[in-house]
Amino acid sequence: MVVASLAFVEFLVIILARDIYLNGLHIYTLGASSPDLTIPENYIVPVRIILEVDSMSIFMAIISATVSLAAAIYSLSFMKGETGQNRFYTLLLLLVAGMFGMVLTGDLFNLFVFLEIASIAGAALTAFRTKFADTAEGGLKYIVISTVAALMVLFAIGIFYAQYNLINIGALAHVMQYTMLDKIALVLLAIAFMMKLASVPLHMWCPDTYSVAPASITIMLVVASYACLYALFRTCFTLYGVSPDMVTVGWIVITLGMLTMFVGVTMAVFQTDIKRLMAYHCISQTGYMLLGIGVGLAVLNRPEALNTYGIAAMDGGIFHIINNALYKGLLFLTAGALFYRTGTRDLNRMGGLAHKMKWTTIFYIIGALSISGIPPFNGFASKLLIYESVYRFNPILAIVAMITSILTLASFTKAFYSAFMGAELPEYQEVKEVPKSMIAGMAILAAGIIFFSLFPGLVVERLAHPATEALINQGAYISGIMGGGG
Amino acid sequence: MSISGLSYSPWSPIFWLLASVVVMIMAYFFRRRGQKKYKKDTEQTKIFLCGEEVPEAKQRHIRAHNVYWGFFETMKEYYDANIKAHTGIINDYIIWFLVLIAISAIILFIVGIV
Amino acid sequence: MTQGIPFNVPFLAVAALIGIAFYIIVSQRNLIKLVMGLSILASGVNLFLITLGYREGGVAPIYTHAPAGIMVLPVPQALTLTSIVIAVACLALMLSMVVHIYRHTGSTDSEKSRIMKG
Repeated sequence: MVVASLAFVEFLVIILARDIYLNGLHIYTLGASSPDLTIPENYIVPVRIILEVDSMSIFMAIISATVSLAAAIYSLSFMKGETGQNRFYTLLLLLVAGMFGMVLTGDLFNLFVFLEIASIAGAALTAFRTKFADTAEGGLKYIVISTVAALMVLFAIGIFYAQYNLINIGALAHVMQYTMLDKIALVLLAIAFMMKLASVPLHMWCPDTYSVAPASITIMLVVASYACLYALFRTCFTLYGVSPDMVTVGWIVITLGMLTMFVGVTMAVFQTDIKRLMAYHCISQTGYMLLGIGVGLAVLNRPEALNTYGIAAMDGGIFHIINNALYKGLLFLTAGALFYRTGTRDLNRMGGLAHKMKWTTIFYIIGALSISGIPPFNGFASKLLIYESVYRFNPILAIVAMITSILTLASFTKAFYSAFMGAELPEYQEVKEVPKSMIAGMAILAAGIIFFSLFPGLVVERLAHPATEALINQGAYISGIMGGGG
Repeated sequence: MSISGLSYSPWSPIFWLLASVVVMIMAYFFRRRGQKKYKKDTEQTKIFLCGEEVPEAKQRHIRAHNVYWGFFETMKEYYDANIKAHTGIINDYIIWFLVLIAISAIILFIVGIV
Repeated sequence: MTQGIPFNVPFLAVAALIGIAFYIIVSQRNLIKLVMGLSILASGVNLFLITLGYREGGVAPIYTHAPAGIMVLPVPQALTLTSIVIAVACLALMLSMVVHIYRHTGSTDSEKSRIMKG
């Protein structure tokens, strides 16, 4: 049932994506007599809850749909034998709903509600296997930081409402004055979303939570954190747009992005728990996206720089989101497969598993090469876009990004060597390949990676570049809500 | 399909794959010309360790925390500081959050004034 | 009702609540107290929203049989209701997790009960 409904969602999302590529932005007003009646009669501002879908939203929706489909198929065997299966899948669908709500909504308060829905469902799923001692700790950390971050978002919404009596993103952007209070709201929103997407130095909950969650839930949490990344972009680009301080905000984002990249990867090399290692990589890859987008943000006021390298940097950053969701998902699933068969996440106690788990090994190799940016995989394509454009912005940033990539390769080589290589160990004589549905879940993501590797130009042209255009073009989003004038 | 819009070096995985196929064919060609005396499943393929007895598989496998030992030894100070910062206590996470909010707000105000 | 109270007293209360909440969250190592701090934080933010919508001498925004005069803004009240519901869900979830942590580690101290670090 769950798999069928998610497959249907994926189908709907792809149809909508095609339609948006051809026809542009879509609006749906909840509770109105006609879907595009955003401003009720006798009013001058929108009061209803409005869903506003443009290329950036649909880009995130495609990621959510694909990853949750893979996660649900994987869970069929992975969670077999746990108690409360019905509740598990209910929460899983709730998490999917939260992610979709976050990326498709055009309303700030709605964003907060869906953020909390996703957090609650995510935390409950993280702590789902209560038989282990550490799951409740991971879940508690996730829900505490989510609650604090979400309450700060709500406080910022309150500040907006106090000034403009509006909570709609497009309408707010239309009347934005950029006062002192708006600056406070910007800081609160930006740092709260940074907390949720695990940017250094707010990343420390991330390895704790990701490593104890069931593998299929971990990849959903990764995508949920990218939904927060999307919310950050919406705040910076659409809500505030071309305001004088965007250079500073861009540099703050770039600095945090560099820190995220470097601290994330160096801590990852050190880890001996396979899922903690991957969680730190998740942090470090987020740094690439922040870097790409931060460069775009910093040159937003300079059209000639924006056209020569700013747009390419943003293309790279956005392309990297979907790439990372795919290969990081695949890697977490292989880690889950190892845990499923060996019962441990500790790399010190693994070895020689390639003899027994051939499919898992192949999928691991695909994911590891892709995340390290080895050609011809998709990680290389998006990293190349980021390197080239960032090098023209500031060479030092590009060099740090390359060092990060090298260290990524080093740590995945370490994990590969200690888990898969070597002679067969006596304690793992009984280990078999994982069940079919887990292989199917991994195969969906692996197929996505291979498709993206072979046709990066197609993906950038059809998905990533329209998303960039949608972010830069603030006027289109506003006029979608406020009607023709803009 | 290549990524367009870049100033130089358009990246196309198809060409890369074609080139790697050519390289593989060449490698196979060189391999064919190699040593003819190799035979599978004979004494030749056993592990040779200076004539010593080969240890068990369990002792032979280098465990994860020994990998890259030199790297961690060189970067010891960096790692000590970093691991000290990662306390794993939930209260500290919120402290970082508040500190970062304060710093970014101050930066924005200063830039706004100047 | 609150006529005569200067308008910014509720805002001072909001600041005090949020300040106390963050002080508790940062300084108290007991997980139950941490959850209490989060609850106070939620109350502070809710009070902020309600105060924004209040207009001096306003009545509840229900059109049926409404007395003449100004009404308070309805939107913040709707927001606050939603936010209260969400806060309750979070509270219940956090408390249940603290119970599980206590069962497994025998402690509700955030330093002693931690398993993962580094």
